Amino acid sequence: MNLSTLRELYKEPACSHNAAKKDAACPRPTPGKAAGGCSFDGAQITLVPITDAAHIVHGPAGCVGNTWNNRGALSSGPRMNRMAFTSDISNNDVVFGGEKKLYKAVREIIAKYSPPAVFVYQTCVTSMIGDDVNALCKAVREKTGTPVIPVDAPGFTGTKNFGNRLAGDALLRHVIGTAEPATPHPYNVNLIGEFNIAGELWGILPLLDRLDIRLICSLSGDARFGDIAKMHRADVNMMVCSRALLNVARRMKEKYGIPYFEGSFYGASNTGAALMKIARIIGNKALVSKAEALVNEETQRIAPELKSLKERLAGKKALLYTGGVKSWSIVGALQELGMKVIATGTKKSTEEDKARIKELMGDETVMISEGAPRKLLQVFHESGADVMLAGGRNQYTALKARIPFVDVNQERHTPYTGYDGHVRFGEAVAGAIESPALAIARRPCPFGEI
Amino acid sequence: MTDKLKVQDHNELFHLEEYQVSREKKKEFEKGASPEKLAETKAYTCSDEYLKKNFGRKALTINPAKACQPLGALLAAVGFDGCMPYVHGSQGCAAYFRSHFIRHFKEPFAAVSDSMTEDSAVFGGQKNIIAGLKNAYGLYKPKIMAVSTTCMAEVIGDDLNAFIKNARKEGAVPDDLPIPFAHTPSFVGSHVTGYDNMMRGILFNLSQNVKVAETDNGKINIIPGFDGFTVGNIREIRRMLDMMGVDHIVLGDNSDALDTPQTGEYHMYNGGTSIEQVAQARNAKATFALLPDSADKSIAGLVKDDWGQIFESSTAPLGLAGTDKWLMKVSEIAGKPIPKALEDERGRALDAMTDSGYYLHGKRFAIYGDPSYVEALVDFYMEMGAEPAHIVVTNGSKRWGRALQKKLDETEFGRNAKVHHGADLWHLRSLMISEPVDFLVGSTHGKILAREMKVPLIRLSFPIFDRHHLHRYATFGYQGIINLLLWTVNTLLDDVDNKAGDFNLDFVR
Repeated sequence: MNLSTLRELYKEPACSHNAAKKDAACPRPTPGKAAGGCSFDGAQITLVPITDAAHIVHGPAGCVGNTWNNRGALSSGPRMNRMAFTSDISNNDVVFGGEKKLYKAVREIIAKYSPPAVFVYQTCVTSMIGDDVNALCKAVREKTGTPVIPVDAPGFTGTKNFGNRLAGDALLRHVIGTAEPATPHPYNVNLIGEFNIAGELWGILPLLDRLDIRLICSLSGDARFGDIAKMHRADVNMMVCSRALLNVARRMKEKYGIPYFEGSFYGASNTGAALMKIARIIGNKALVSKAEALVNEETQRIAPELKSLKERLAGKKALLYTGGVKSWSIVGALQELGMKVIATGTKKSTEEDKARIKELMGDETVMISEGAPRKLLQVFHESGADVMLAGGRNQYTALKARIPFVDVNQERHTPYTGYDGHVRFGEAVAGAIESPALAIARRPCPFGEI
Repeated sequence: MTDKLKVQDHNELFHLEEYQVSREKKKEFEKGASPEKLAETKAYTCSDEYLKKNFGRKALTINPAKACQPLGALLAAVGFDGCMPYVHGSQGCAAYFRSHFIRHFKEPFAAVSDSMTEDSAVFGGQKNIIAGLKNAYGLYKPKIMAVSTTCMAEVIGDDLNAFIKNARKEGAVPDDLPIPFAHTPSFVGSHVTGYDNMMRGILFNLSQNVKVAETDNGKINIIPGFDGFTVGNIREIRRMLDMMGVDHIVLGDNSDALDTPQTGEYHMYNGGTSIEQVAQARNAKATFALLPDSADKSIAGLVKDDWGQIFESSTAPLGLAGTDKWLMKVSEIAGKPIPKALEDERGRALDAMTDSGYYLHGKRFAIYGDPSYVEALVDFYMEMGAEPAHIVVTNGSKRWGRALQKKLDETEFGRNAKVHHGADLWHLRSLMISEPVDFLVGSTHGKILAREMKVPLIRLSFPIFDRHHLHRYATFGYQGIINLLLWTVNTLLDDVDNKAGDFNLDFVR
């Protein structure tokens, strides 16, 4: 990808990270620190959940080996995305170029599997030796008629967040707006940034169905390639818990006039607010009152469970360390359970997210911008917290320190979205705090007492 | 928890009416094929014609069974006391490696990267490495930093030696902080090569100024190799050597680093081979590599040529014959007899083998993984009377493949086996369709394949993300035989029970 395009993407105008600064403002990693994923990672996270497309990594086998099926973005149908395709670049290809091999590989995938589309991921090595995936994808597309989408997001371009954005850019350029829905429908919505981890999308779908709102596409959890192509026919875009794909929402607003808003399905009140907002933006009075009725009914339905959970969790304190916008939305969910959130991670959060966190949590909020394990543990102990919520890479650090832990990132196996999800979330938090094994671990070793 | 809030398996969930409705509504958005077309396509992928086409594939690799060099380098590095693995290159690689190890070992795993970006791609990575070493040293206070490279640094040809010297010159790191390094591009070799390269880098660095003694100190060095069961295996090897009274040093002992006790505190560094021990290793009597593919040329070269020691890597101590041979070799070189207690253990392992033999004898299996491990496991299963059918090794060399094939052709149980070096798991799928087997041996990556083929998967490799605690058990030694049988036979028996009709649900197996 050329530098001017990259710079343009860095300057995403709708992102408040950039608002105050003149030049590329996305946070850059510090050399020598434990860092999160790269752009390649981010691009894959965004696109690999498209279940019926083939995804091929143009690079050494390691790049695909490291990412193969590594996130629980579930599919209700096709599983083509679970195949690990790679051009498996070796020493000779680095010297002589890998384009021919890639060309053959993509042709082979199309001949063998006839997928609706092939996504081709550029990696560090093949980008540096100058393989032109854009031209190559165009050539294969012309030859075969199958959409072949270049994803020019080699790891060295930057952070995971930036990779999300690059992936969004690839979709905007090559996919969105290339097909039309077969039937009209009065209310259509896209969920942008919902990856269906542990099946979380499926906690939301029945709610939308009950309001007769049609989900055109969830970008990209349990999505089909055809869904993405039809996204431009939505009446509203909801950004789900992540500003990483903000460029998609912003550009769709500019190009197709589709309004967007940011919402979350974590916590009953967030869920209710999101449903109401969708109804208000796209619908008439009738839809809004229907949504109100649904929200009331569902809130009533889970009230007894929530009540007993609140009794178990009253006054408990939580430390949250998760990337980006999930911070504020989970803060809301925890507060609804009667808990106090004493600190939250803000490494990937935008200025706007941070303002939102402050608003929710008050001025005493501790914001942790860096996730060194020691720092996390220190904040935990100093604040007298009862439970930590974070991602898999922090899980065992926390457990070593006998800290009750709940995984709220991609390795979670329990869906937490929607009303039932909120109760499940409460159960998970209470369960972690009440774990008998942890309680035993906290007791001193009895040896020597006799 | 009430029933309705129970987390339903999604298969169960999708049978609910609301999801059926949802699905119908969604259909128009899918470019779905008809069930007939799907069945027809599936049948085609199971045909002989497809098998031929699949093996004709040259440019495309599907579902590879290997990882990349720096991943192996990190596993070698954490085996040294106070060592921080440092990845010179793009940051994502380091994040992936950490995830891999955390998911496999269920342990915290520290590693840093100097996050090279497109600027470094143009101007070289010196700026990053100097800043990175400085920050990492300041933040994490390591005793050693082991630098491995990613593809990116290799493609631009960064000169690690010069960069590290310059970092010292600029005062980014103290002069006496050991910073061994290894070139570990992913487009050459695999994780076992990376382990090998980094081990050589560290041993060379830490032993280069050690005074060479006139006579050896009688010790035996052990290089464990890239092994997903490293925690259990290193401890087992040490236990056996202690029983024999053999004074030994494990080079790159990562068993404590990857299995820290629950004390209520998190330690970034835990255990491992110390700098002093490497100095002693320099003057040891002999060095044993337990997995030859992880000690291929460089360690052999360093130990044999530089250190001038006996170097022994012909046998992995796995299975009965493997363990026997290994122990006898140790006994011969160290001059210590094998004690009665170990002979008793051997007897118990043999007893377990004869007890379980009925359920493995004549069973056909497919296996994939790293060359040395796969070879040792094949030997073991043949000792049990099982017959290898397909042996798929993505990172196996031609020479290795030919040698193993020759060896198998001459055995009773292995003569129908075919070794596929350089093949991937999609090749294995075709093989398993055309010639079905009774069970599959390999890593978590074979899960979907095993499900499709309706055979049990015996998890014996790296990575294993979806089972707990396996790495805490040994696969080496006589104890390892019992563990291997425990997992294999009981998994096969579970399979028998799961597939049994009411008339075959026996209490005794």
